[in-house]
Amino acid sequence: MIIGTMISASLIAAGLVWYLTAHVGQNPGDHIFSGEPKFLEKPIDMARRAFDFDGAVERRSIAMLGIFLLLLNPPLRVLLAGAGYVLEKNRMYALISAVVFAVLAFSFFW
Amino acid sequence: MTEPYFDIAVGVASFFAGVLGALIGLGGGIIITPLLVLVFGIDLRYAMGAALCSVIATSSGAAAAYLRDGISNMKIGLFLCIATTIGAVCGALLATVLDQSLLAVIFGVALLATVFLSLGKKCGPRLLPGDSDPLALKLELPGEFPGPDGEKSAYGVAAVVPGFCVMWVAGVLSGLLGIGSGAFKVLAMDQIMKLPFKVTTATSNFMIGVTAAASVGIYLKKGYLDPALVSPVALGVLAGAFVGAKLLPVAPVKLLRVVFLTAVSFIAVQMILKGLH
Repeated sequence: MIIGTMISASLIAAGLVWYLTAHVGQNPGDHIFSGEPKFLEKPIDMARRAFDFDGAVERRSIAMLGIFLLLLNPPLRVLLAGAGYVLEKNRMYALISAVVFAVLAFSFFW
Repeated sequence: MTEPYFDIAVGVASFFAGVLGALIGLGGGIIITPLLVLVFGIDLRYAMGAALCSVIATSSGAAAAYLRDGISNMKIGLFLCIATTIGAVCGALLATVLDQSLLAVIFGVALLATVFLSLGKKCGPRLLPGDSDPLALKLELPGEFPGPDGEKSAYGVAAVVPGFCVMWVAGVLSGLLGIGSGAFKVLAMDQIMKLPFKVTTATSNFMIGVTAAASVGIYLKKGYLDPALVSPVALGVLAGAFVGAKLLPVAPVKLLRVVFLTAVSFIAVQMILKGLH
């Protein structure tokens, strides 16, 4: 778990530096809410764009990939706990883990 | 301010928010959001998205240590996560339709409530497993935790249904405001369900990450997560929380709490005023 957090943290850091090198001297765009481009929404597109080094605008995809890994951490923990209960043959808690996981899945994929 | 100085400044500010959060026992999220909005002039929605990611980062970083110690109660955590995650999805969906100035006012009020809650005393009388709520026994919630002398002591669990309901509210606040809402989770487990304080903090840390993950999917869809902002905030708070935890044994915690809880109350009023303008 610590290793996972560190991997995603370093990916975010690398992505941040990569992004900033392309944006030195620009004004940050966080003051006005505009929503994010559509390509940042889908993980698969994100991974594809992260390794597409041509577009400077899309350089933040690497950081986004790191962030996405970070966000996967809690669902993964619930999944592992659920698997543990299945092995223990504890039906009630296998079911409870499944419900929590389903809500998380709904949030990401509705 | 232009890049990269803006992101560096945000990162440094987030670092100090993380240190402070760890020292005075507030989450990073509830400190970092007003900082981003009031000092850096960032849109509240981006600030909430960034804060929520930092909440997941610190929760994931700390959870491993707690699991090793065997203090957190996974069954209680998972069961109550049903309430917090459903609440979080409701809150996050609500956040996408509510007016931003109203959100700022609610944020200020929640911040004041958090200060108030963290001033309250934490230790109620401990419950024996035999005195538990019958529903708690059915759900296998009571557990035991290792004491300072290595001896295990058992504890009971009271008032499952009221605790579950307060957890739902904590989840709504988390999704609505992009915070971990740890103070409200501790309230439910400590004051209502009568869990030992160590078990409460360790379990709520696990729950905070899972609850935040339930909101963040919706934030992601709505475009609240700007990697250029999330990155320095998450990294800064994560590093800050780590340093803060190391400083905890040597820092003058009582003095810090008084000084900074006063400061946080002032910030809360500022948020409310910003919302009312």
